[in-house]
Amino acid sequence: MTNSLSAACKLPALKERGNQLYAWLNERLGLDFFVEIARHKTVPEHRYSFWYYWGGLSLFFFSVQIITGIFLLMYYHPGDGAYDSVRVITNEVAFGWLVRSFHSWSANLMVFCLMVHMFSVFFMKAYRAPREFGWWTGLGLAGMTMLFGFSGYLLPMDDLAFFATKVGIEIQKALPGAVPAWIPGSAFAQNMTNTLIDNLVQGGPSVSGMTVGRFFSLHVVILPLIFLPLLTVHILLVLRHGNAAPPSVEALPEKERRSIPFFPNFFVKDLAMWLIAFNVLLFLSAVSPWPLGPQADPWAAAPDGIHPEWYFMSQFQLLKALGEVLPGAIGEAAGATMLGVGGLLWALIPVYDTRNGGQTRAKVATAFGWFAIAVLTFLTVWGYVGVMGAGK
Amino acid sequence: MNYPSWDVPVIGGVWVIGGMAIMHIMISHFAIGGGLYLPLAEYRALRAGRQDWMPVLKGHAKFFLILTAAVGTVTGVGIWFSIGLANPEATSTLIHYFVFGWAIEWAFFLMEITAAAVYFYTFGRVSDELHLKVGWVYSITSFFTLFIINGILTFMLSPGDTWVSLAGSGTEAGAFWSAFFNPTFWPSLVLRVAACCALAGVWAFFTAARMDETKQGRLKEEFARYSVKWLVPAYLLMPVCFLLYIYQVPVGQRLLLELGTHTIGAGLFTQVTRMATMSIAGCFSLAIIAYLLAWWSPRELRFWQAVAIFLVTFASFGATEYTREMLRKPYVIGRHLYSNGVRVKDVARINQEGYLTKSIWTRPEEKTGTSPEAVLARGEMMFRGACMSCHTVDGYRGIRRLNAARDFKAIGSILTLLHDQPEDSKYNAFMPPLVGTPDEINALNTYLYSLVQPLQTPAEPAPAK
Repeated sequence: MTNSLSAACKLPALKERGNQLYAWLNERLGLDFFVEIARHKTVPEHRYSFWYYWGGLSLFFFSVQIITGIFLLMYYHPGDGAYDSVRVITNEVAFGWLVRSFHSWSANLMVFCLMVHMFSVFFMKAYRAPREFGWWTGLGLAGMTMLFGFSGYLLPMDDLAFFATKVGIEIQKALPGAVPAWIPGSAFAQNMTNTLIDNLVQGGPSVSGMTVGRFFSLHVVILPLIFLPLLTVHILLVLRHGNAAPPSVEALPEKERRSIPFFPNFFVKDLAMWLIAFNVLLFLSAVSPWPLGPQADPWAAAPDGIHPEWYFMSQFQLLKALGEVLPGAIGEAAGATMLGVGGLLWALIPVYDTRNGGQTRAKVATAFGWFAIAVLTFLTVWGYVGVMGAGK
Repeated sequence: MNYPSWDVPVIGGVWVIGGMAIMHIMISHFAIGGGLYLPLAEYRALRAGRQDWMPVLKGHAKFFLILTAAVGTVTGVGIWFSIGLANPEATSTLIHYFVFGWAIEWAFFLMEITAAAVYFYTFGRVSDELHLKVGWVYSITSFFTLFIINGILTFMLSPGDTWVSLAGSGTEAGAFWSAFFNPTFWPSLVLRVAACCALAGVWAFFTAARMDETKQGRLKEEFARYSVKWLVPAYLLMPVCFLLYIYQVPVGQRLLLELGTHTIGAGLFTQVTRMATMSIAGCFSLAIIAYLLAWWSPRELRFWQAVAIFLVTFASFGATEYTREMLRKPYVIGRHLYSNGVRVKDVARINQEGYLTKSIWTRPEEKTGTSPEAVLARGEMMFRGACMSCHTVDGYRGIRRLNAARDFKAIGSILTLLHDQPEDSKYNAFMPPLVGTPDEINALNTYLYSLVQPLQTPAEPAPAK
């Protein structure tokens, strides 16, 4: 690796300095160990290689989340002063609007990249042995990213954030109501849910400054504490097992399969992709800075067309649609059950579609992936059509 | 209002010009940078006896000719049509003062386009020496088209004290050279030449990416790396020239860059800052992306990577051009002509005599009528003349959205602020003064209020109780 690095370095004196610096660091940090790993790790090169970049892109946007999050922490006040502090960040702090826009847009882009990454892994069948735990840790990270999104959405405490969170919590509160009253313990379940949500999540009978405090600690302390170790395990698993090639490429004879060294070849391209992603982020933040709506007024009516972020829209629409067919808590419980079963099937796909599972299972799994994309897309579009109709 | 107004819904005339201009710049600058790239590459190849470069260069020249001669020229003519419609007063002024400049530019353009065609079609048909000479002819003539148009474009931002002092006197022609070689001419020229070179490299990545790495591995590597080198001048020169350029921009207009550092307020309060941020960061990262993708692993350069590099270039160069255009505000020709086509020296007269008085595009009853319909029509004509060069009703800088939370009195206050232009008004930095008599401004107020409250359109504000 040192030779590869030095090859690009034309000046001998600089090359010598570089080598000296490497030797000094290596003696103290044992860099050769990592170099050995990087030297042997390769990335398959084929017509689907483009899809290998999306995991790295998700990681890049997560890094942006951390950096911009730290800057936002310098001015943000959780609790009753939340809205005012976000207003100061947006309208008074020099380039505060840019940091906040970076944070919000990169959160959305991170979810988008994660979804692309997840589906590309799915269709390349990279969940098969020995990569099952890579799939499960990845799903865990995706779920936690959604929680990051949900908890972060409330923090500015503008009207949209307030009402969207309120709707989200109300849905959870209503679920035990699906249990018929004649079943013993149904009232207890309802009371327990209400108590738990009121005391643990909301910090009171409704969404307030106390809720912001709880969501804030979840967003900046609890979730990162779980997310970072899980991310480390996920990356270590990727390093351990390498990138999976799709079955069509794996079926090729050894001499027809091509690969490139991870370091520096793929790593350098990854860096370029990160810079391109940075430009996309900058473009979105400059052209459409993240807005701040009016301060939340708990006594006011919810704004027309209140809806969650786009990555929750499909779930929201499913619950809404089922609610129209099966009014009340039963509809919500049916929706929650469908979401739960769907998610469970998605998580268990490595158990169903194994390497030795046969072509039929492989085809069913692929069809299931396309079905999931179709349902998510349909529900999301349907949800937005409904929101636009309500907003008129 | 000497001309009829051009109503382009949603995007407004300003974005017809903007969209056309950004496309044109990406191609016309390639026409100049590529004009240097091709003969230089051919010269290097011939000197090294590398005939294997010739088919690649011929292929690139074909791509170059089609793109620049077809799309480049069409968008160039498109700009003429659109500026003539969107801002006829400014176009008329520029033609008036630079008619010979443009005539010379067109002569050079004719030579340039002919040389480009001859260059491509004589590949392998004439001697290498003669072919190369045709390439140099193209290179020189294309550079002079830039040289001339740069003088006119920079004049619009910074016409210089000499020309401004003579403007409207009938003796401005005597200040032609002073207007042409205005304060921002040289930094802008160096900036644009650097941009031309960068675009020559960026467009060449498309040709490099299409080369087969298994059959032309070495050639692909050399071609891609040669193309990366064309981004280096831009990377080194652009920051310095940008600072020099900004230093020459009049202080009042330079302030536009700072307005958006602390807020995300709508419109021009923040747009220049936001676009400048994108421009600087985009240009900075562009060279690094090109280095990482095309220098480190040139044989693996893929078409989608060339597209990605191009899109980053498009965004950052588009933002740069947008910033440059917006820096001219509130003028379209610095200190002479406001962006809504009103001459600086005419402001007092129009305030006295009226904005619509001499307009041949307004019906007599609309000019003086007192019925609610006539007042509304007069207000709409005022909007078309005074506002629509930058605003639309419902689209870009939509006036209905901007006034959505204002009542009749609040809209009136804004109009008064724009008319009186007190020194501490931030609007002065980017909006021209609102000209016209009190009656015309009241009619405009009525019209604007009718857009947000269509059911209540009082001709006069209700008396305070």
